[in-house]
Amino acid sequence: MAGPTPLTYDILLALADADRHGYGIIKEIEAREGPGRAPSTGAMYLALQRMEGEGLVEDAPSRPAEDDDARRRYYRITRAGREVAERESSRLAALVAAARHKNLLRGATAGGGEA
Amino acid sequence: MSRLQTVVRAMLRWAPRRFRDRYEQEYLATLTRRAEDAVARGRLPALSLAVREVIGAAGLVLRLRSGGGRGAGQVHRMKRNGGAIMLETVRQDVRFAVTTLRRNPGFAAAAVAVLALGIGANTAIFSAANAFLFRPLPFAEPDRLVLLYETNPEFDWTVEQAVQAAPANALDWREQVEAFADVALYRDLGVDDVAIRTDADPVLVGGTTVTGNFFSVLGVQPVLGRALRWEETWADAGRVAVISHDLWVSHFGADPSVVGSRLPLAASDEEVDIVGVMPAGFAFPNDRTDLWYSYGWERSALEAVSFRRAHWVRPVARLADGVSLEEADAQLQVVVRRLQEDFPETNRVMGAGLMPVRDFLVREVKASLVVLLGAVAVLLLLACANVANLMLVRANDRTREMALRHALGAGRARVARQMLTESVLLAGLGGALGLVLGWLGVRGMSALTRLGIEGATTMSLDARVVGFTVLVAGLSGVLFGTAPAIRSTGGDVHVALTEGGRGQSTSRRGARVAGLLVSAEVALALLLVVGAGLMIRSFWLLRSVDPGFRVEGALAVEVAVPSTRYPDRDQVLAFWDRLTEALEARPGIERAGTVARLPLDGASWSSQFQAEGWPPDRVGFEILHRAADAGYFEALDIPLVRGRLFGPDDGPDDPYVVVINETFAREYFPGEDPIGQRIAYDRAATAESTWREIVGIVGDQHQESPGTPARAEVFESRNQDWDRGAWLVMKTSVEPLGVVPAVREALREMDPQIPLVDVRPLRDVWSASLTSQRFVLVLLGVFGAAALLLATVGIYGVTAQVARRRTQEIGIRMALGAGATQVLGLMLRQGLAVIGLGIAAGLGVALLATRALSSMLYGIEPTDPATLAAVVALLAGVALLACYVPARRATAVDPVTSLRAE
Repeated sequence: MAGPTPLTYDILLALADADRHGYGIIKEIEAREGPGRAPSTGAMYLALQRMEGEGLVEDAPSRPAEDDDARRRYYRITRAGREVAERESSRLAALVAAARHKNLLRGATAGGGEA
Repeated sequence: MSRLQTVVRAMLRWAPRRFRDRYEQEYLATLTRRAEDAVARGRLPALSLAVREVIGAAGLVLRLRSGGGRGAGQVHRMKRNGGAIMLETVRQDVRFAVTTLRRNPGFAAAAVAVLALGIGANTAIFSAANAFLFRPLPFAEPDRLVLLYETNPEFDWTVEQAVQAAPANALDWREQVEAFADVALYRDLGVDDVAIRTDADPVLVGGTTVTGNFFSVLGVQPVLGRALRWEETWADAGRVAVISHDLWVSHFGADPSVVGSRLPLAASDEEVDIVGVMPAGFAFPNDRTDLWYSYGWERSALEAVSFRRAHWVRPVARLADGVSLEEADAQLQVVVRRLQEDFPETNRVMGAGLMPVRDFLVREVKASLVVLLGAVAVLLLLACANVANLMLVRANDRTREMALRHALGAGRARVARQMLTESVLLAGLGGALGLVLGWLGVRGMSALTRLGIEGATTMSLDARVVGFTVLVAGLSGVLFGTAPAIRSTGGDVHVALTEGGRGQSTSRRGARVAGLLVSAEVALALLLVVGAGLMIRSFWLLRSVDPGFRVEGALAVEVAVPSTRYPDRDQVLAFWDRLTEALEARPGIERAGTVARLPLDGASWSSQFQAEGWPPDRVGFEILHRAADAGYFEALDIPLVRGRLFGPDDGPDDPYVVVINETFAREYFPGEDPIGQRIAYDRAATAESTWREIVGIVGDQHQESPGTPARAEVFESRNQDWDRGAWLVMKTSVEPLGVVPAVREALREMDPQIPLVDVRPLRDVWSASLTSQRFVLVLLGVFGAAALLLATVGIYGVTAQVARRRTQEIGIRMALGAGATQVLGLMLRQGLAVIGLGIAAGLGVALLATRALSSMLYGIEPTDPATLAAVVALLAGVALLACYVPARRATAVDPVTSLRAE
């Protein structure tokens, strides 16, 4: 199976430490990569629908008590999703190591995001 | 930003049900939060988000609709892989297209701008059509509602005129046509300005009179209180009214206790009981209707002959269950024939017809809308031809690239698809920008029609308009992308690669396609410019029509005298005399007079008449009549042709006298002197008829519009046919609006309770009568100018391209001794052939298509030779110039330089 697309990876990464709703995922991506770098809402829900179908994410069974907006659903990363994210992370880490070895990386900032 | 949510919500309608059920709510919630964030960050981030979100939503819908993005396991694996590969290819194509366009921003910008122009025009006009033709009507089951009208061959009443009905006839239809579940009547002459008395100045609202069953026939319920009842049609039930939601909010502060309160009307000093408030958005028959009140007819009025003779109510009927339009019409005709036999005096040849409510409402604007929709379609075709040309030019430059890609194994279909992807991408960008232009256009059009066309205020961009724009953009992408895509698949790889990218052998075919495109552009531009030219010429002729009265330096104000404080005739007449005197004493006002109705303000009352001494079967039809005093004619410079105007001896108790217009004299008294003749307004004069002596003839005034010839008209003496309401007209020696404060002051000194119902300089009356022509004229003018510009740019571009490609050839020719003039002539001849073909084709189509304009033209035929000749000359001149400039430049180059241009 091919690796996840950058957007899939972004979403998995956003959900790795906490369950989030759609807007929360966007905020997380923006916090990491800057405002304006997040996907469009349409692209995200397209990805979410696909990822639910592929079993990478699922509905979170519970939601934080402070959230009373019933329209929001929370997404949770599945075991499969976590595996995909871990595998992709290792692959990226290996790539970054190789890049550093070839002097392509000064300092330790990680760039990227969706092209 | 709420506009963004609206647009995205509209787009999501096309997403599959399953997606919407699960994600739509939170999608929109997320979008709202993001929009708020972006707005907080500033204008640019907000705009950028809006663009990205619209594209994102479009992408989402396209992917979901094309089968992508479904969950794994639900689709067969092979199929999914196939889909994935295809999706990947599309992705590659799009990415490549973006890169290519970025490398050539000038081309991309030009193409997007041209497309946006074409698509934006379509969006704007479609939103107008949408407002009139497709918008849901505010009635229950509008398909079951029909409007009724009367016809009369002797009076030339046509279906298009849809003349109103006589109340007694309409009430008989209500009783006797079983196919009608019910019939309601209302006033269909625009709204009355009704003044509401308040503690401060009187407030003017639009009011209309209706029968009590008006709302139940339309199937509309009030949000507060109750609707009118059938018994309330009659005077004995007291006068009751229902108000609009707008009025309720603006005037009564949305206070629910308004139901049951009394509304004082300033003009009549009457009070009406408010019984209900209509829902927001309900306004019928007119956008400005705020008040519906009952006719308050005396039951005895039913027996009066005038109730069957005068045609002044509009019947609206709800068809009974299961009855078709045809059945209803057949039953109506039976009743119509019965009434013809029972009431020969009024109904001898009176017919009736019905039409669905929507047809009725759009009957006046339909022709304009069809013309304008046609015009923008032509403009879009022109834009597509233009972009196709740009792409061909580029395709030519890319011959080598394409050949290389073929050689490297890319299938022809793949390359063609790549080209199409570029086209669709351009179309998408053009569509997005076009949507913005369309929105601006709608705002412009709303401003343009503020004075004239009903329903125009409801024009807006809704889901249907956005959907239409998307469709148009997609179609145009395919349209202008096809030629270059096909072109890219042709050609011999070897030749292309060895010819240094100029593609000499394929260029002949390319030049032919480019030539045809230019011809098409010229033809399309000609079509639009002819349309615009005809409208301009017709408008110019209309403007030079003499309306028959003073237009500049003249003011009219409407005043009504309440019956409570001026109960009898002499008081009212004294009021008019004192007011006109008081006005004439004011500086700036030279002469003042009264008239019952302004000219060019629609036809007024019409009647049949008979002259003394005529045989009993001879009757004059459809003469108009208005009451006026001598001051009216003198204030508006209406010439007295013969005889005299009304004088002090034409009082209410003196013998009745009238003044007629020249048309009347010409039509009914040819070759004899009308002065001294007597006429009566009854169909057949009887012993009780009121005979009126003709004492004067005045000049014609256009009554309906500048384009409609003046009709036979009679002026009664205002003191003999007196009324409580009148227009005061004034000749002013200063700017007419400048005397309004003086008019108000004069009125206040006489009676502070009487409001100025309306204030209109006569030049506004004149220009308002041209509003609908002006609307079509301005839009066609804009489209014509845009077409001319697009065609010029297109011709210039192609000639420049040809010249560039032939630089070498020109160099050789000139090196071999050909003069610059010869070479220039050669190039111009080729251009001329292409332009000539376009003009010939355009003329052919124009001769057929401009027939659609004929109902809007005044004084000229749609095939007006002068206009056609002028347009052909203009277009040929511009086209030749667009040809000449690049050709001239090519021949000006030193042969040595051009030979080196390798």
